[in-house]
Amino acid sequence: MIGRVPALAAALGVALAAAAAIFMLAPLAVVIASSVSASEFLVFPPRGFSLRWYQEILASSVYLRALGVSLTLAAVVTVISVALGAAAAIGLSRPGVRFAGALQGLFLSPLMLPTILLGIGLLMLASRYANGPSFAVMALGHVVVTLPYVVRTVSAVLARVDPSLEEAARVMGAPWWRRYWHVVLPQARPGLAAGAFFAFNVSFDEAVVALFLRAPGVETLPLLIYSKLEFSPDPSVAAAATLMIAMTVAVMIALDRVLGLDKVAA
Amino acid sequence: MAQLRIDGLTKRFGAVTALDAVDLDIPDGAFVAMLGPSGCGKTTLLRCLAGLERPTSGTIRLGEADITTLPPERRGLGMMFQSYALFPHMRIRENLRFPLKMRGRGDAAAQDAKIDEALRAIRMEGMGDRYPREISGGQQQRVALARAIIADPPLLLLDEPLSNLDAQLRKQMQIELIELHRRIGLTTILVTHDQEEALSLADLVVLMNAGRIEQIGAPRDIYRKPATAFAAAFLGGANLLDVVVENGLARAGDGTALGPLAAPDGPRRLVLRQEALALRDAPRPGEATLAARIVAVAFNGATSRVVVEAAGQRLELTVPAAAIEGRAAGATAQLCFILADAPLV
Amino acid sequence: MKRETALLLAPGVLVLTLGFVLPVLRVLTLAFDAKTGFGLDNFARFFADSFYPLVAWRTVRLSLVITLVTALFGAPLALVMARAPRWLRMALIVVVVLPLMTSVVVRTFGWLVILGRGGLLAQTLAYFDLAGRNFSLMHTETGVVLAMVQVLMPFVTLTVLSTLEKIDPRLEEAARVMGANFWTTLRHVVVPLAMPGLVAGSLLVFALSASSFVTPGLIGGVRLPVLGATIYQQVTGTLDWGFAAAQATLLLILALVVALPYAQGARRAGASR
Repeated sequence: MIGRVPALAAALGVALAAAAAIFMLAPLAVVIASSVSASEFLVFPPRGFSLRWYQEILASSVYLRALGVSLTLAAVVTVISVALGAAAAIGLSRPGVRFAGALQGLFLSPLMLPTILLGIGLLMLASRYANGPSFAVMALGHVVVTLPYVVRTVSAVLARVDPSLEEAARVMGAPWWRRYWHVVLPQARPGLAAGAFFAFNVSFDEAVVALFLRAPGVETLPLLIYSKLEFSPDPSVAAAATLMIAMTVAVMIALDRVLGLDKVAA
Repeated sequence: MAQLRIDGLTKRFGAVTALDAVDLDIPDGAFVAMLGPSGCGKTTLLRCLAGLERPTSGTIRLGEADITTLPPERRGLGMMFQSYALFPHMRIRENLRFPLKMRGRGDAAAQDAKIDEALRAIRMEGMGDRYPREISGGQQQRVALARAIIADPPLLLLDEPLSNLDAQLRKQMQIELIELHRRIGLTTILVTHDQEEALSLADLVVLMNAGRIEQIGAPRDIYRKPATAFAAAFLGGANLLDVVVENGLARAGDGTALGPLAAPDGPRRLVLRQEALALRDAPRPGEATLAARIVAVAFNGATSRVVVEAAGQRLELTVPAAAIEGRAAGATAQLCFILADAPLV
Repeated sequence: MKRETALLLAPGVLVLTLGFVLPVLRVLTLAFDAKTGFGLDNFARFFADSFYPLVAWRTVRLSLVITLVTALFGAPLALVMARAPRWLRMALIVVVVLPLMTSVVVRTFGWLVILGRGGLLAQTLAYFDLAGRNFSLMHTETGVVLAMVQVLMPFVTLTVLSTLEKIDPRLEEAARVMGANFWTTLRHVVVPLAMPGLVAGSLLVFALSASSFVTPGLIGGVRLPVLGATIYQQVTGTLDWGFAAAQATLLLILALVVALPYAQGARRAGASR
């Protein structure tokens, strides 16, 4: 503890924290509130209480198909991204990697460069060399977008692992596959789990790459919500958006369990 | 100037009592070492003095003023941290200027003069424009010390100041600290877990254990006459031999008569310093003796450390290496010491 | 480099080459593709009349305002988080991370409900007699800035927070003992040491806000086009890909112009540390 915080500073801090909480959470709160409205239109404050919009989207083939596409896409992307990202993070953690800095930069750069660039680039390549965008192209785009998260979380966990563990396994005669199975992967497990949750969440929520690569039959939930927002949204959009918030909350709880939310944040 | 007076100082962290009603008077100009194992409360005491912790109860007086609840910036003290806490974003000069500026000492020119003087004193003229990361660990230590005293504080607090230096540099800095204290006579409180450092630097050692003061005294007194078993064991790793006093005669645990001892009847413990023990074939006149079996011998160069078993206890002694030649583990010998020189606890 | 390490890295590098490097290169080559082979036709068109330069200027201006506002509120929020008791810190982490991890379409939807005619904001202002019920911030720059600040503030807050947590608490204690009070310690020690995090976070916010189009598109609408929105429109609407590629290239240059000096500064600071 460092001295005492003056009363003025404490008061300003509390005021800022409260203002931030309202400002940051208000948009999510109004979405949730709107989703249980009984009225036909999006009005605020919502009139009455009903779950009819949830019933409606759960009976709607459009919403269900979009949800199915989103879940499939996120699952496929998560598996590929975690496999590639974990291997890369383990590789980068080894001593004597040539061009280590450049490789690190390459793996993290999709996070830094405008995503819109990736979206059009993939669209242009797919139109030229494939039959235009498809589920596979969209998955490729999402793998690129999610890979940095996996590499970062796994690297962060591996950085705390004693490198002599692996050497010890070697000295004790473990073949390469046992070394990975019994030593390397268990050590990296919290990072792998956190990376997987991140990848799933990012892919499930992603809208920018998806907007450029939308193809018939590959309409994800965020895309469906986006097109409804462009015209006249009704409370069914709020219900779908609330489901997406619920998914995010679930992922956050999972992240807190495997790694601790404060570690994930920093 | 400033006499420091601590009364009933208590600090609790939740259920843990770090300081338990500590009373301590420190005379002006003293060099005091707070000594004890980690977690004994010595660092908490120092932080309470600095104002970095607020005591749960008790008072701290500096001269006439009660400073118990004064924020750290208004106490005007000098403090040196274990990690040095040099500001990485400031050059050495600006680090040294910081306390002068914060306390509003003189104009920029006067401050510059003071900084130059300080740099000269630590033999770092011309290095003022470097950043802390651009100088060696020893130099960082000297800058940190210079920064702690540049604003002429009435009291200097040193938190394990030498623990980040290698053994050789540490010895050299100990001498420098002694010289500095002699030269400016600043009341200094040093926190350390290193008993050798405490004994060689301070003129008053405060031995702490479990939030309480175990013993206060001059280094020689505290070493020769430990008041408690803890004091005996912590300072110099003395052996504690269980004895029973009966009608003025001391007997070891196995019944061996050791000699007359002026103490009330009952079980007692003898403090036997490692260097006060000798292994011989037969005792010299006036020596008490115990039959001992050698368990292990570790050669240390000039001396050897020997572990023996005597009177059912394991004892450790340090002897000149030559004195143990010819004796190996398993051999028997007489463990000899002068009973009158061994304090009782 | 050992063969094992190379094998570990190869799949990722391959996928990134195919799915990232080549697409970006494709955009760049298409941008410079002219009827006569290599040329600047697309860029010439961009500057031919005042429409697109004005769009670019609006993009830069809005991004600067958004960056400034996020820094102004996001950095102090990080400071509060770093100093708050555990429960408050955890609550604020949720406050910052939950929106960050929520889909941008969901958050923007929330802002539509808040900012629109008869929305939460209008109702609240009307309640205090500050504005009529028809008050709306839709299709205004203020509305875009508000929504974008909510979307992007977590980036500043989290980068500054991680910088603050790396500062040795002894430095602040030392400053206090040497006579600096809470505010002077903040000014002379905490803020300078947190600056790299603030700069990094702000640059990220600038780059992200310059290239965003979902939120500005839905809230600003066609009346307030930004670069991202015109690119999206050209790609999906008018199918003018060369021109869209040129605009995307300009966007990339904008992001790099801002980011490169910082990256260099950071490397220099890192190297001498």
